[in-house]
Amino acid sequence: MQTWDQSQPIYQQLADLLAAQLLDGDPPEGQAMPSVRVLAGQYLLNPLTVNRALQVLGDEGLLESRRGVGLYVMAGARERLKAAERRRFLEDEWPRLRERLRRLDIGAEQLHWGDAR
Amino acid sequence: MNTATSGLLVEARGLTVRYGAKRAVDDVSFAIPKGRVVGLLGHNGAGKTTLMKALVGLARPEGQLQVLGLDPRRQRVQLLASACYIPDVAILPRWARIEDLITLMSGLHPGFSAERARQLLRRTSVGLSDKVKTLSKGMVVQAHLALVAAIDARLMILDEPTLGLDVLSRKAFYEMLIDEWCDGERSVVISTHQVEEIESLLSDVLMLNEGKLVLSISLQDIDARFVALSHDAAVAEQMAAAHPLLRYRTGPGPGGSAAIFDGPPPAHVQALGQRMRPSLVDLFVALTRKPELDRTQF
Repeated sequence: MQTWDQSQPIYQQLADLLAAQLLDGDPPEGQAMPSVRVLAGQYLLNPLTVNRALQVLGDEGLLESRRGVGLYVMAGARERLKAAERRRFLEDEWPRLRERLRRLDIGAEQLHWGDAR
Repeated sequence: MNTATSGLLVEARGLTVRYGAKRAVDDVSFAIPKGRVVGLLGHNGAGKTTLMKALVGLARPEGQLQVLGLDPRRQRVQLLASACYIPDVAILPRWARIEDLITLMSGLHPGFSAERARQLLRRTSVGLSDKVKTLSKGMVVQAHLALVAAIDARLMILDEPTLGLDVLSRKAFYEMLIDEWCDGERSVVISTHQVEEIESLLSDVLMLNEGKLVLSISLQDIDARFVALSHDAAVAEQMAAAHPLLRYRTGPGPGGSAAIFDGPPPAHVQALGQRMRPSLVDLFVALTRKPELDRTQF
């Protein structure tokens, strides 16, 4: 079963999970989001929790409501998500990672940066 | 008090059920609106089964109780047209085939839809011609849920439905419940002590301890009312001095301790820890007490 940690409210954890999927193009822009019922069944969540998570994504400009048909992924959602993720990486994760690399004496040449491509 | 006009499916005030001198349910008041998934939590013997029996007219309570606008004791037949109940001791006859049970239910219950039952059973690995005795425990419980969910009811009451099932069967059971029953109008009350895995399914919690209702709250309000702080063991004394409901270890090393407060602790205490989501399990431990523990203490 899906496990939820204690770092944040469950609706926020679901919103993060769905945002990560949107970043991978699932579902693609312009396509419908799965319904509240489907998501609730899939993640074994109360529908109210799913609603709150979708609300968060809507507030972030990632989803739009089309009257009577449901929620759709907005055009430009992936770009916006990617920009936010890059900012978070560069401002938050990278300084800590760089510090650790320095402490371990790992230089750029040891990271085989080109190989993973 | 009239639940039919208030939009409440259940309304209980000062509900007490006595077995001889013992109060199995002790002065309990709560309400259940429509569209909710209510977890009835408590240790064995806390009164969960008795409270559920009272809801469907199988126990003789004192106090006020309305279920779907009816008195469960006096209007039981009417009530069972719109409420369904799987007791903890529920069994399906071993000799019967699933299609026999569908025929039986069609004859017994005016709100039962045979077509809906077959549709729900298609979600499961249970076949219509299967005999109950050939099914695994998990399949029997799924079949039972399919039969009961095919009743056009507004309230479902499930007493320990997943007890003794393996994890895949429990998951399948909850999936069907969320997917096929919860439509925003109907409500379900589920009793369990497997608090951890049911937490995310619930909209509300009723927590019983020795017959008394020690918590009645929506999951959303839990995050607002209770404050959980993870902290270093070094500040344990300051945490304790602020009178948390519960203190416990979350793991080894720094930050491996935690405390739960009912209401926000003073700012200087909050500053000593990192705020976490208060989990239902921790609240359960904090607010209920196993009778065996009491005995070993005295």
